[in-house]
Amino acid sequence: MGWFSWDEIHETEEVALKEFFDGSSITRTPKIYKEYRDFIINKYREEPSRRLTFTEVRKSLVGDVCLLQKVFRFLENWGLINFAASSSEGEIPVVGDDERSKVKIEEGVPNGIRVVAMPNSIKPISALPSVGNSGDAADNGFKMPALASYSDVFAELMKHRGLVCGNCGEVCDSGHYKCTKDDLLICVKCFKNGNYGESKSVDDYKFNECFQNSGNHGALWTEAETLLLLESVLKHGDDWELVAQNVHTKTKMDCIAKLIEMPFGEIMLGSVQRKGNSSDLNGNLNNSKQVHLPSAEHQENAKSGVQHDEQTNENELNGDTENEGPPLKRKRIASLLGDDGSLMKQVAHISTMVGPHITAAAAEATIASLCEENSLSREIFDGEDECVTNGLLSPTADYEAKRYLIHFRVLEGEDSEIKERSSQSEDQDASCNKDDIPLTLRIRAAVATALGTAAARAKLLADQEDREVEHLLAIIIGTQMKKLNCKIKHFEHLEMIMKKKHAEMEELEEFLISERISVLQRALSAGVPRWRGHSFVKY
Amino acid sequence: MVMKGQASNSWKSTAVKFRMPTAENLVPIRLDIEVDDQKFKDAFTWNPSDPDSEIVVFAKRTVKDLKLPPVFVTHIASSIQSQLADFRSFEGQDMYAGEKIVPIKLDLRVNHTLIKDQFLWDLNNFESDPEEFARNFCRDLAIDDPEVGPAIAFAIREQLYEIAIQSVASARESRISKKGRRGAEYALASKAGSGAVDIVKLFGHKSSVLRKRKEWDVYEPIVDLLSNEEVDALEAREERIAR
Repeated sequence: MGWFSWDEIHETEEVALKEFFDGSSITRTPKIYKEYRDFIINKYREEPSRRLTFTEVRKSLVGDVCLLQKVFRFLENWGLINFAASSSEGEIPVVGDDERSKVKIEEGVPNGIRVVAMPNSIKPISALPSVGNSGDAADNGFKMPALASYSDVFAELMKHRGLVCGNCGEVCDSGHYKCTKDDLLICVKCFKNGNYGESKSVDDYKFNECFQNSGNHGALWTEAETLLLLESVLKHGDDWELVAQNVHTKTKMDCIAKLIEMPFGEIMLGSVQRKGNSSDLNGNLNNSKQVHLPSAEHQENAKSGVQHDEQTNENELNGDTENEGPPLKRKRIASLLGDDGSLMKQVAHISTMVGPHITAAAAEATIASLCEENSLSREIFDGEDECVTNGLLSPTADYEAKRYLIHFRVLEGEDSEIKERSSQSEDQDASCNKDDIPLTLRIRAAVATALGTAAARAKLLADQEDREVEHLLAIIIGTQMKKLNCKIKHFEHLEMIMKKKHAEMEELEEFLISERISVLQRALSAGVPRWRGHSFVKY
Repeated sequence: MVMKGQASNSWKSTAVKFRMPTAENLVPIRLDIEVDDQKFKDAFTWNPSDPDSEIVVFAKRTVKDLKLPPVFVTHIASSIQSQLADFRSFEGQDMYAGEKIVPIKLDLRVNHTLIKDQFLWDLNNFESDPEEFARNFCRDLAIDDPEVGPAIAFAIREQLYEIAIQSVASARESRISKKGRRGAEYALASKAGSGAVDIVKLFGHKSSVLRKRKEWDVYEPIVDLLSNEEVDALEAREERIAR
């Protein structure tokens, strides 16, 4: 179809529509053909996705409809129009006249089907006008509305650890201590508080982890074992034999399984080559599956006064980071968003799928919920920012945001250099607040910051766009003004010319009159009698 | 300046023998018979080259299919025959076949569909096809009722037939007045027909074939779907007018 050109009429057209080119009528000339053709093509291109019908154009064209139909067909067959139109609309009835009475031809889209502009869109075709998030996620069996709090989601899971403390009667959601002598279970809180029950002491209790997944070959990992495992992984890397040896009580498969289960286990596996201090897990943090990244070179001090809710928070956090954090291939069910491999990319993807207002609202709500639910994250932000006012995120503190971004990169395990840098910068940080805050919290905070940064940048971009629009508008107005000025000048010019002409005319008139007078005078002085019956020239 | 057409057969600027100016020479036949308070209305196209014996066969079949009283057979047959005879009376004669573009108007109701439309038709195009136009019409406007298409085609044919008959008369006139000048062709065109358009004005060098926007409404088809009550009301009114 490369032959078409706006400025010319090609041979193909001349041959196919020779009526226009044989000079048989003034109603059919090349000029007329070109007008028809250009109009029809332009009309189609006004909206290429819809199928242009002949009936739509023929009202705008003067000429025999049969001939117009022929031109229209020609253009359609050669793909100059309706080439991008959806073909589901408007079936061409191929059946003959006889059959038509028997066959009902469906013209137009059947009921209940909504035709989408992009045929292969991944958006669900059913009437789902809302944000794609919930719909998309729902399709994949992991129902989590994007803006729900993690406690909503994980409350269910947490209930599974349905063990009740023998002492205080609370649900041991994070782990329990089992007495080796009896079958008594006490929760962590009681253990710490020293309520061991009658005639028992600390030693009698063995810590039991509670797993979210029970599919663990029934193996229980104690704190010590987990610690050993991590150390050996760091030391030996992929050599599972050695790792298994180190962790005496567990087999090779158990080790691998356990490691994968733990959050950021993948990261660990990937970053095993990197240098990193061994993790210093304290008891508090270790009740479930919290793991230090090898990059974390901070000493975690046990907080003796840790409140109960902080613990739960941590667990919840942990659960949440499992969900929010960078690729946990185990947990993350293949979602509509694809294996993008990064949260930000996913977020970007989602935001492209929905409208800008929705994205803005989602971003706001996400940040709000992240910060509100956990006051600690506020502390983090506050603690970090010397220069920032009390607030969750300061969109203007780009530098701050960048540091957090660096944290975030660390989480993804992208670049060890950045890691070193960040670790150094963190070391320099005098605030001891920060060190005390558990890693996962920081992770969450970083995530929130990253999202916030994205939001801030989006706002900046939007502002820029606004400014550009204003600028362009000003230019337009200026141009219009110039146009008007030109016109005014033109008219003034014309007026001037008119005046001049008028003046000239008057001069001429006067001149003529004076000539007449002189002629008359000469006539009179020559003795020509005055005319009778003629009136003097009046002016 | 008009040049005699050479390249395509479908446009002729010489006089031709009378026929329907369409690809298929089909005659529009209208039936409107009332016997003893029973009415029968119909409209269809007939091929004049069919043998006349077919007329009676057709009439009988119609009466049988529609369960009309047998007296209708003769009425139907005679009506068809007389209309065909009219048609044939023109057949031997010359038809003016110059440049002629006429406006065709549609204003019809078929069951529940009301159609109003207007467009231009080249009378000189002997390859024109009202049925194809009607098919495109129904398809583009997604008209479900299968009876609409044929009704539109029929309406177009009727009007073309009318105009063709008139052009026979005008051809006769031109013969009589012996006007041989080429320029007269246009004059005849404007005289003879029921408002054929002024070709020079519309297609001439200075004008554009793109219609002015304000006229788009006039030439745009209007299709209305009526409710049952509206249909009844219209039918009642039509009957009153007919009387």
